[in-house]
Amino acid sequence: MNDFLSLFPLLIICSGGILLMLLSAFERVKLENAPVLSMGIFGAAFVMQLIASGIPESTLYADTFNGMLVSNGFTHAASLVIIGCGFFTSMSCHTYFRQNNPCTMEFYSLLFFAAFGMLLLTLSRELITTFISLEIMSLAIYILVGYDRKRVTSTEALLKYLLLGAFAGAFFTMGSALIYGGAGSTKFYDIGIFISTHSAATPLLIGGTFFIFIAFLFKVAAFPFHAWVIDVYEGAATPVTGFMATALKAAIFTVFANFLALNSALQKEWVDFLFYIALFTMFGGNLIAIGQANIKRMLAASGIVHTGYLLIGLVAISTESFTGSVIAYYLAAYAVGTLGIFAALSYLGGKGEKRMSFDDFKGLAKVRPYSAAAIAVFLLSMAGIPPTAGFMGKFYIITSAISAGQMALAVFAVVSSILSMWYYLRLIIIMYFHEAEDAFEIESSVFAPACTFILVFFVFAIGLYPIVV
Amino acid sequence: MEHTVSYLGLIPLFPLMGALVLGVMHIYSCSRGKIPEKLYAGIACVGPVISFIYALIVFFQLKGMPPESRFLVHDAFTWFSVGDLHITMGFLADPLSSLMLLFVTFIGSLIHIYSIGYMAKDENFGKFFSYMNLFLGSMLILVLGSGPVVMFVGWEGVGLCSYLLISYYSEDTDNVLAGNKAFIVNRIGDLGFLLGMAFLFWAIGAGGFDYLSLRENSHLLTPGIGLVVCLLLFVGACGKSAQIPLFVWLPDAMAGPTPVSALIHAATMVTAGVYMVARFSFIYAHVPIAGTVVAWTGILTALLAAIFGMFQRDIKKILAYSTVSQLGYMFAGVGVAAYSAGIFHVFTHAFFKALLFLGAGAVIYALHHEQDIWKMGGLKDKMPKTYWTMLIGALALAGCPPFAGFFSKDEILFSALATGHTGIWVIGVTVAGITAYYTFRMIFLVFHGTPRDKEAFDHAEEAPGVMTIPLIVLAVGALFAGFLNLPSIFGGNLNVSHWLAPSLVDHHPHVGISVELLAIATSVIAFAIGITIAYRKFGMGAEEPEYTGFAKFGYNKFYIDELYNTVLIKPYKAIGSVIWKSLEPNVTDLPVKLSSWLYQKAGAAFKVFQVGYVRIYAIYMVIGLSIMSLLLSQSLN
Repeated sequence: MNDFLSLFPLLIICSGGILLMLLSAFERVKLENAPVLSMGIFGAAFVMQLIASGIPESTLYADTFNGMLVSNGFTHAASLVIIGCGFFTSMSCHTYFRQNNPCTMEFYSLLFFAAFGMLLLTLSRELITTFISLEIMSLAIYILVGYDRKRVTSTEALLKYLLLGAFAGAFFTMGSALIYGGAGSTKFYDIGIFISTHSAATPLLIGGTFFIFIAFLFKVAAFPFHAWVIDVYEGAATPVTGFMATALKAAIFTVFANFLALNSALQKEWVDFLFYIALFTMFGGNLIAIGQANIKRMLAASGIVHTGYLLIGLVAISTESFTGSVIAYYLAAYAVGTLGIFAALSYLGGKGEKRMSFDDFKGLAKVRPYSAAAIAVFLLSMAGIPPTAGFMGKFYIITSAISAGQMALAVFAVVSSILSMWYYLRLIIIMYFHEAEDAFEIESSVFAPACTFILVFFVFAIGLYPIVV
Repeated sequence: MEHTVSYLGLIPLFPLMGALVLGVMHIYSCSRGKIPEKLYAGIACVGPVISFIYALIVFFQLKGMPPESRFLVHDAFTWFSVGDLHITMGFLADPLSSLMLLFVTFIGSLIHIYSIGYMAKDENFGKFFSYMNLFLGSMLILVLGSGPVVMFVGWEGVGLCSYLLISYYSEDTDNVLAGNKAFIVNRIGDLGFLLGMAFLFWAIGAGGFDYLSLRENSHLLTPGIGLVVCLLLFVGACGKSAQIPLFVWLPDAMAGPTPVSALIHAATMVTAGVYMVARFSFIYAHVPIAGTVVAWTGILTALLAAIFGMFQRDIKKILAYSTVSQLGYMFAGVGVAAYSAGIFHVFTHAFFKALLFLGAGAVIYALHHEQDIWKMGGLKDKMPKTYWTMLIGALALAGCPPFAGFFSKDEILFSALATGHTGIWVIGVTVAGITAYYTFRMIFLVFHGTPRDKEAFDHAEEAPGVMTIPLIVLAVGALFAGFLNLPSIFGGNLNVSHWLAPSLVDHHPHVGISVELLAIATSVIAFAIGITIAYRKFGMGAEEPEYTGFAKFGYNKFYIDELYNTVLIKPYKAIGSVIWKSLEPNVTDLPVKLSSWLYQKAGAAFKVFQVGYVRIYAIYMVIGLSIMSLLLSQSLN
């Protein structure tokens, strides 16, 4: 029963995707209603996931799946974040597609398939399963990115993402093969046992793990595999960008952490490697971000920086008592802030995303004070100013780094966080200290603004009452 | 020993709520159209009046209790607690605070009512009353606070409100500067208060930091620490109650609307310092040296301000200096350990000074904001109610028996004499003479003789009832308040002193009746001389003299403002501008700016790599991969 309950959200998401695809065949079902329907399904899945969250660590249907899927507190939390991201993304989409080239019903269906892949990814404890769920997710995301075929940037983004994604995906399979060669199994658990009885430092295992890490690092846009993220985030539809930036990152980091935490020898072997990756990712991301004139590109670059913080979380994993709570909290905190700002951009962007550069938002506070205040809250959260969720997230990450003995990394994280003020505050200054040049007229529905303000609430709620799973 | 009642906290709460409501209404009216003045006025007066009713309830409840246990407390909530410091938002009503409470709420209410007339048609009517309510609420917190920290909340509150109200006519830069001056000078005093509080806590705070606990532990204070605490607290009192050297703000504070002057700068706020010294009488009583310092500062302030008052031409400035001067008396009283005499003078002074200010307000109102007494004259018949009430106020101020000021001032002077402070007594009597002189100089010039500005005189008329009725009520107070503390020589039995006794550590020197008679006789003679000279010079109508020699020196307030300006403010500003112009941009900001500049350049350089070609991106990946592989293969060997 518990196994079923743990998988139930996954089933809801999957059948939701299929249902929407079927419904698209009926003309009587209006496209306007699709986001509402998908919000409903995501909402139901969220509730079910919330119910399932009490279930302790368990191997799901061990007879059937042979230990491929394991759920625990960490996966529950990550799943909640992913489903929540889906919910709020659908909400933003409602407004977004009123002002932009309309999508079709299948768009939402793909959203569900992507979410399904992500949820599966969080549960998977086996390399082939991981690969399959990675691909389910990626294929859906590719299409979502390039959904608006009439827009050149969208198609361009799709192409770039697909080519580089395929390149990275190849590494994953290669890595799996090497690990199988080295450890004789593709199951995380067996690999862990093999490492603890033998050694993690064999060429096959090192090479295999390295390749798998490359695939993961590519997906979360860590340095030096970050270059795609700027163009892809810019080209994708705003809500999709928000979904990619949050849910996808949550899924990958969950499986990444699960893999890394399976054996202390393995983690120790890779700490130095991850240390440098985290360092370069934070500072590289910052350097890219300050040069950007487009808000989506800036956010993409800032997403790289946040990847850097999350990598610190991986560095600081203690394999003896791994709960993933720090990473899960950071993911949730990052998700509410990022989703919030993308929701705000979804309606403020206007027709055909005409307002996307910093200068377009001059004087927003004079015309739309509440929206400007909401954006300011999200930015401050991302910058890590108390009492927002972002602050608590950074706080946990940095304290975990300190308790893991990574003092240098903690200091670098703080420095990077200060540097990140540059581009976050820049937008706030532009919104507040300039005269409005634009009337900021929008053809909006109530959904994206509502989504924005709900997320403002969450930024404070999670920040003030941090629930650490 | 003490009783807990649950309504004490409400007393300040009513005006504070009023301030909030009025403030919201005012903000609303700024964008959404006007709200009728009547509505504002109604709400504004509700809070003070209810507080006054509660003050009466408190008074009668205390009266019904045995004298030695007249303490009502109300601990609303724990404000904060850090280590040994546990601060509750507590309120204490004892005889001292209940007396203060009574006249603060009573006079406050009257001034609110008067202001309805005075401020009519003012653009920011709601804002004014919001500030007034806030002020009264802060004053009540100050008076009712159960410990120094809560008192400090009110202390700062009245400081803030005085700033807001002094610079109320903010279109004029001078008013804003006057507000700044008041605030800054008060802050200097506040620093003293804070430090004194910190010392007090450090010394005996561990056993509870409210008055009752402090009082019990006050014997633990060593004389040295006691002296430091007393002097530091007195610095705070000097700031708020305008004593040497911090008195300079009060005369300038007359820039605010006249009811504000009456409320803040005569009747209530400035008395906070005296109240504080009396409140801490249990410490001051142990440190006679501190008392002497207080007394001498007070009496010298009284003298100095009285001399300034002789030469002023602005009716409100004359009253302002008389306030400073009277405050000096009060400090002389509490300084010679005659706490009840000092507080009693606070009490009577509140009546006649509020009366004089409101009367002056009526005159100013009638003459369309003319404040120069050399442009007035002969208003006696035009404004009979104002004239007669102000005359009562003037007599009270000048210390004419049997008006209120006579008894209270006489008690202070008598105490000084009886405790052997002959010097203070001599100066005090001199000041009494000068006071009579300048007070009646003002009365004669304003109301007697012939009008000096014919046109303004012709348009002048009596103020409306809403303004004159408070005048009459206050005049009654100024007339009879003195009898409440009638000394035995006149057949009384010092009711107020006995009432206050449980709160204070009072000394009643027992000296022969001859000393008392001497004190009274000299006061009366001084008064008579002062008023006679004033009558000779101004009673028949006089022309404005040229200010030369000492008069010029006095008119310019001994150039003390200029002195402060040269010695303190200019060097301070110079240091500030050095820091601002050279130190900050070159020493602290430069490295910051340099690093941010570098960072920006680095960002721009890094942007070059973001070429947008997917093949280039793939090459990055390959390069990164290669380097990492190289490093990893190193680790294998």
